[in-house]
Amino acid sequence: MDPVLDVSDLSVEFRTARGRIKALRNVSFSVQPGRIVGIVGESGSGKSTVLWSILDLLASNAIVTGGKISFEGRDMLTRSTKDMLALRGEDVSVVFQDPMTSQIPVLTYARQMRDILYRRDGLGKAQKRKMSVDMLDKVGIPDPEMRVDQYPHNFSGGMRQRAGIAMAMLTGPKLLLADEPTTALDVTMEAQIIHLLREMQRETEATVVVVSHNLGLIAELCDEVVVMYAGEVVEAGNVHDIFHHAQHPYTRALLECDPAQIKGKSHRLPVIPGDIPDLVQPPVGCIFAARCQRVMPLCLAQEPPLVEGEQGGYARCHLLAGPEQDSSWPPPPEVPTVARGAAATAGAKTISPEPLLEIANLNVKFNTMGPVWAKVRGVKQPWVTAVVDASIKVHAGETVGLVGESGSGKTTLARAALNLVGSQGGSVQFEGQGIRGMAESGFKRFRRDMVMMFQDPVGSLSPRKSVRALITEPMKIHGIRNVDPDREAERLADMVRLPKALLSRYPHELSGGQARRVGVARALALNPKLVIADEPTAGLDVSVQGEILNLMADLQAEHGLGYLIITHNLPVVRHISDRLAIMYLGRIVEEGPADEVFAAPLHPYTETLVCGVPQPDPDRRRTHMVVKGEVPSLLNRPQGCDFVSRCPHARPLCHKVVPPHVTAGNKRMHACHFPLGTVGTPE
Amino acid sequence: MIAYLTKRLGLSVAVVFLVVLILFSLLQLIPGDPATVALGPRATPEAIARYAEKMHLDAPVWQQFLIYAGNAATGDLGIDVFTERSVTTIILERIGFTLALIFVAMGWAMLLGIPLGCLAAVKPNTWVDRITGILSVGTIAVPSFLVSIWAILIFAVNLRWLPAIGAGEPGDTADQLTHLILPAFAVGLSWVGYLARMVRASMLEVMGETYIRSARAFGLTQRRIVFGYALRVAILPTITLIGMGFGGLISAAVFAEIIFARPGLGKLIFDSVMARNFPVVQGGVLVATTLYLGVVLFSDLLIAWIDPRVRDSL
Repeated sequence: MDPVLDVSDLSVEFRTARGRIKALRNVSFSVQPGRIVGIVGESGSGKSTVLWSILDLLASNAIVTGGKISFEGRDMLTRSTKDMLALRGEDVSVVFQDPMTSQIPVLTYARQMRDILYRRDGLGKAQKRKMSVDMLDKVGIPDPEMRVDQYPHNFSGGMRQRAGIAMAMLTGPKLLLADEPTTALDVTMEAQIIHLLREMQRETEATVVVVSHNLGLIAELCDEVVVMYAGEVVEAGNVHDIFHHAQHPYTRALLECDPAQIKGKSHRLPVIPGDIPDLVQPPVGCIFAARCQRVMPLCLAQEPPLVEGEQGGYARCHLLAGPEQDSSWPPPPEVPTVARGAAATAGAKTISPEPLLEIANLNVKFNTMGPVWAKVRGVKQPWVTAVVDASIKVHAGETVGLVGESGSGKTTLARAALNLVGSQGGSVQFEGQGIRGMAESGFKRFRRDMVMMFQDPVGSLSPRKSVRALITEPMKIHGIRNVDPDREAERLADMVRLPKALLSRYPHELSGGQARRVGVARALALNPKLVIADEPTAGLDVSVQGEILNLMADLQAEHGLGYLIITHNLPVVRHISDRLAIMYLGRIVEEGPADEVFAAPLHPYTETLVCGVPQPDPDRRRTHMVVKGEVPSLLNRPQGCDFVSRCPHARPLCHKVVPPHVTAGNKRMHACHFPLGTVGTPE
Repeated sequence: MIAYLTKRLGLSVAVVFLVVLILFSLLQLIPGDPATVALGPRATPEAIARYAEKMHLDAPVWQQFLIYAGNAATGDLGIDVFTERSVTTIILERIGFTLALIFVAMGWAMLLGIPLGCLAAVKPNTWVDRITGILSVGTIAVPSFLVSIWAILIFAVNLRWLPAIGAGEPGDTADQLTHLILPAFAVGLSWVGYLARMVRASMLEVMGETYIRSARAFGLTQRRIVFGYALRVAILPTITLIGMGFGGLISAAVFAEIIFARPGLGKLIFDSVMARNFPVVQGGVLVATTLYLGVVLFSDLLIAWIDPRVRDSL
C-alpha cells in the first residue's frame, strides 16, 4: 500500500544569532494508512519540528534545506499557499499540546468550529452548528448543545482537550497529527485522552502521527515508533520491537530511564550523562556518541550504518553492523546498560526519631469574595478550603513524597507550612517549636533552616543576575558577611556538580537540568535542615531527571536533610521516597511507607494514580478506563467523601459521611470507609 | 454583570461627588467674600447681593455645599456672572462642538492607526513596519498646537482649501464639517501614532500565541486570523488606552479651540478662567469630568463585552 505520509531526507535549519542550528538532518519515515505512528524523543530532538514541517508552519527563521514530504503522493513543500489552506484542517488536522493556550479565549466553541468548516460552502450555519454539537458529543462532552456556546475558559483542562480533539476531527481528516496531546494534563485525564484518541482513530480509520516524550503514551497508543535524538532518527520500528528489542543504545537508555518501567524500588535512578550536542556544529560520526555507554573510536569518526531489522524496523549504530559489530548487543532487557552512578555514601539511611517538621490538622482557606459582598449575596461560606485537616511529618534524613493532581492543594500545604500563605486552624511545628502564623521578623531565622525549591527552575531565578550572584543571594538576604562570596559560590557549584564556568552565566543560558542545579544550590546555600521541593523534576527529560534526584539523594545522605517532595509524578517519587502522602482535593487521603502504599493502596484514589500511569510496555495496554471524570472544583466539593463522584467502589455511606483519618497497623493512615483489600473490593 | 455595572456606576458617582466637593472648596478656600471671589472684582453690589441670596451665602458652609451639590445633581449649575444666563444652557450650547471635535479626531485616528498597527505587526521588520514606526514616533513627538498652526498656514492660508477659524454656519452641516476637518486633523494626529504603536505591540504578542498557530493549522485564511482572531484579543489593551485618551483629548481640544477660534467646552472654560467667571468654570470642569468618567466606564464595559473571561469574572 502507498504510504499516506512519506518524509524523506528532511533537513531543517534555524537561523539564530549564534549561527544556523541544524535542527533536522536527513529525517526519513513513512506512515501507512490507518496506522498510529509515534515520534518519540527528548527536548531538542526535533520531533515537533518534524510535525510543523509537515504543515509548513515552521517558525519564520526556519529553512528547509533538503528533503521531501509527500502526503498522498503529492509534495507538501512545493504547494502553493492556497493549496495549503485547502489542506490544513481539512485533510490534515492537529491536536495541540496545551489546551489552555491553544484555543482562542474570546470565541465560543461554536464559532471556532464554524470557522474550521469555512470551506464547506454547501453547509448552512445551522448545519455546521449541528456538526459541531455532534462531534462534541462524540468526544464525550456532556450537554454539548449548551456547551458549544461556551468559551474555552468555561471548560476544565480535560474537557478542553476533548474539545480540541473534536475540533481536529470535525472535518474528518485523513491524517491527524497530535503534538504531546496529554503533556499538560493530569494522570487520570491522560488515560482518558489516550483512550479517546484510540477510539476516534478506530472509528474514522484516520492515520495518526503522535509526537511525545512520554514513553508510556507511545506504548499505549502507537503501532509504530520513530525514535529521534538531536535531529536525527536513530531507530524506527514496530512498537513491540522498540519496547522489547530496542537496538540503538539511545533507545535502550531512554527506556531504562523511565521510572515507570523500573520494577521494585530503586533509590538511585538511571541517568544518561551529558547534554544534547550543540546543533550549530553537530559532531562528526554518531550523534549520540558523546553520551553513549558503548562509545568506540569508530563512533566519533564515522557515521553509523543503517541496519535493517527483521520486522522492517531499522537502527543506526556501529554495534549492529560493520567492523565493530557486537553479536552480544543488545543484551537481554533485564540487563541494565545505563549506569546509575555510585552513591556518595553507601549504606542505610539514618532517619532521626524526632520529627523535623510536624504539621497537624492544618487548614487553609481562600476567600472567594469580600465580606460585604458575601452579606449582600447571602453567601454563608465566602471561601474555599484548599487544605483540609492535613497532617504530615518529616524526619531528618527522610524523604516524604506528597503526591496529587493539579488543584489537590499540595503546593498550598507546603506554602502554608512556610508561612507563605496564611493558614486557619491546626499547627505547624519545626523541631518542636510552633511556627504557624509566626510574624515574619521572628520567622526569618527559621527560613534558614527550612527552604523551598520552587517549581519553575528558570522562572524562579532573576533573569538579570548571574549564577554566582544567584547562589550566594541567600547569604545576602540573611545578612551573612563573614564569608567570601566567590569561594562560597564555588563551594556550592561543586556541591551540586555545576561546572564553574557556568558561574558567570545568566539563567537563560542554562539548560533545564543546569537551572535545576542552581535551584538546588540556592536552597542549600545556608545548610538548611528541611528542603521542600515543589515538582523538582517538572520540565526535565527522563534522562536528566535522574541526575537531579540522585544529586538530592547524595546531599541528603551527606547532610542528613529532610525532604518534602511535592509532585504529581508518582512513578518518580516512589523510588526516592521513604513515605508517601496522597492528596486529593485538599485532604491527605492516604499516607504510609512508600513501597507499601505503591504496592497495595488502601484508598481507591491511590489505586487510580498507581494504575493511571501509562506503562512503557505495549503488551500491557489497558482495555478499560481506570477512573472517570475530573477533579471537581473546590467550589463544589462533593457531599461525603471528596472522591465519591469518581470512585469506582462508592457505596451509599460514602455519599453521606466524610471518612475520618484512620491509622491502621504498620503506620499506614487512610481516609476511606472501605479501604481496598480489606472488605472484598474487586481485585 | 448587573452587579458590576452598579458597582462601577456607584464608583463614578462617588468620583463626581468628590470633584464637586473640590470645586466647591476651592471657592471657599480663596480668601475674601465668596460672592466677590465668584463674581470677580468688577461685580456690582446688586449682583453680589443677588448672588449671595441665590447661593445661600448666609447659611452654614455645609448647607451651601449640599445646596450646590443638589442643584448640580438636578442639572442646575448656577448662573453666568456676566450674562446671567444659566450655566447649564451655556455648556449645552458649546458641548456639541467639543464632542464633535473629540469624536471625529479619535475616530479618524482609530481608522488609520489600528490598521497601520496591524499591518506593521503582520509584516514585522519590513519597510511597511519601519515606515509605520517612523510615522508613529513623528506624530507623537509633534505637539498638537504646532500641528494646528501649520495646518492653518498650509491648508487655510496658502492653499485656501479649508476655512481657518470658527465652527461654521449654524444649521449648515456641510459648512460645519469643513470647519471640523483641520482641528480634528490636528488633535487626532498624535493618536494615529499612539494607536499604531500600541496595536503593533499587542498584535505582535498575540500573533505569537499558540492559539494563532492553531488557527493556522486549521487552515484559516490570513485575513480571518488577523482580524477575526488576533485583533479581537490585541484590541483589548488599546480600548483602555483610547478610553483614557478621551481625558487627554478634552485638554487637547482647548488648544485647538483657541487656535481655530471654535466655540467649545475647552474654549469656554479658558475664557471663563480669564474672565474669572467661576460658576462657568465650575460647571465646565464638572461636565468635562463626568464626560471622561462616562467614556472610561464605556470602554471597560466594551472590554467586558468582547472578552468573556473578563465578563465572567465580574
